[in-house]
Amino acid sequence: MQSSRTESVAREIPVHLEGLGKEYGHFTALKSLDLTVPQGTSLGFLGPNGAGKSTTIKIMTNLIRPSRGRAVLFGIEVRREPTRALARIGAVIETPEFYGYLSPLETLAYVGRLRGMPSNEIERRSEAVLKEVKLTEWADHRIQEFSKGMKQRLAIAQALLHEPELLILDEPTSGLDPRGMAEVRNVIKLLTGEGRTIFMSSHLLGEVQEVCDDVALLNHGELLVHGSVRDLSRGADTSTFQTTFLRSPTPQDLEALASVPGVVEVKDSGDSSVDLRISGGEEGQARVLEAMVSRGLKVITFRPLGSSLEQLYLDRIQESDRL
Amino acid sequence: MTPSPFAQVVTVASYEIRKYIRGRRLLGILILVGLIVGLFLGLPPALGVPYASTPNGFVSTFATFSGLLAVLSGVLFAADALVSEHEKRTGYFLFPNPVRRELLVLGKIAASLIVSAAVLSLYYGAAAVGALIVTHSLTWDVGLSYVYALAYMTAVVGIAYLLSALLKSTVAATVLTFFLFTLIFAIISGILSLAKVDPWFVASSASGIITNVLGSATVRPGPGGGGEGFVPDPATSLLVFAAYAIVGGLLATLWFRRKELSS
Repeated sequence: MQSSRTESVAREIPVHLEGLGKEYGHFTALKSLDLTVPQGTSLGFLGPNGAGKSTTIKIMTNLIRPSRGRAVLFGIEVRREPTRALARIGAVIETPEFYGYLSPLETLAYVGRLRGMPSNEIERRSEAVLKEVKLTEWADHRIQEFSKGMKQRLAIAQALLHEPELLILDEPTSGLDPRGMAEVRNVIKLLTGEGRTIFMSSHLLGEVQEVCDDVALLNHGELLVHGSVRDLSRGADTSTFQTTFLRSPTPQDLEALASVPGVVEVKDSGDSSVDLRISGGEEGQARVLEAMVSRGLKVITFRPLGSSLEQLYLDRIQESDRL
Repeated sequence: MTPSPFAQVVTVASYEIRKYIRGRRLLGILILVGLIVGLFLGLPPALGVPYASTPNGFVSTFATFSGLLAVLSGVLFAADALVSEHEKRTGYFLFPNPVRRELLVLGKIAASLIVSAAVLSLYYGAAAVGALIVTHSLTWDVGLSYVYALAYMTAVVGIAYLLSALLKSTVAATVLTFFLFTLIFAIISGILSLAKVDPWFVASSASGIITNVLGSATVRPGPGGGGEGFVPDPATSLLVFAAYAIVGGLLATLWFRRKELSS
């Protein structure tokens, strides 16, 4: 009884990675990743190039085998039952290539038939997803004429065709121009709003912050931090603020600023500007502003350089690089 | 709901056939077939040489080219079928779908066999029609030669798939398949013959039955020059073709299943 309940709970969990590891010869791409993504969550899988993001996603989509551990999608282990595990997901891995001799409509029909969708459903959904990714006008053109951005949009369309419960996206805006990136992000945001589970890898923090609720930070094949974007932003120790003064502060002013409680680092960035790394959240920022005013320093601007999450990201990556 | 394995194989095969129809390869090989048929039909009267008076004699002229046609079909419609999914990155779109890799291979093999068989059928059809017009008769031997050519073609396709699964480049798979059947096997047969070993197990030697059944002698070039090649009996030859096709296809499937898409 207990076991069947556990199984049914596991069936509700879109992604469960357990001690996942991958080695290529002597190179360890992924150490031992444990990660669970609950239903309806959009998780940003963040890390620099070579962190192990694509390796994880390739294991999840049965493109490669794990050296150890397991990837379980909706309670089904990918390695043991790939067909069942992949039935409820849609995936975009890197920038896939398509068969140049087919049109988007034919490509979607191919995917739909492989997935067992009825013809009328394939037709209806193809029209909808091509509209969603703005490829309707190109529906009957051969893909060999398409740009990289168009192929990326088609990749998203084919991943959405069967209305998957889990969408796995590997660097979905990679190689796109700024407009294309914004369009793809808008599509993902719409999907998030529909309550789908999204597992999206990216090396762009801003993208993850814009699109995802949760973030998992990976480096050198190891999970460094995992939590909601909001909590991690709040919990981040420090933020950096670019402060511009009416007149350049003297070395004594800088020394005095450095001694204010909460100031972690003072860096003169020239042109009457100083980068202040401050801990203690909004309280800390207020204390520093008070100290500057009380010393008679005339502050023109005081603006955050990147988000606190960015600082956390950089700190953790640097820390992990040092180890 | 995922469809039945058979339905998935049919889907894969139908899209592969579409690839061959829309690509230039099928057109290219059809033009080649047209040229060869035109030469065999047009050259004798142009040179004042009479056509063979028997159906076997007439079709044997065509049959001398059917082995190479089987190899060309295997090269053009099979050698890059698996390797291109990795090299051209189309696997990134195809493999995350709920379809087993072995079904993908089966569908692709089915498409290769259908298209290659269609080309050979067209060629033998033209030869048979020509024989009927010129000699007003046909024999069962012509049909047997056609069946042997089809059997040889399945052997070529099996090995082409194996090389396609093993190698990392479409060019390497294509070139190696072609030279394996046109040159490397001939060299091996020649060396074995010099060592007084009958090369009954070499597919290209066994392909001699395609013309032998029509009563013509098979001449195969060896490393030391031309010479009459050894041709095993039809039963052995068919078994050899079947072994190449089955072993090649099975190993290709197993290897393709294991091969990771990590580039």
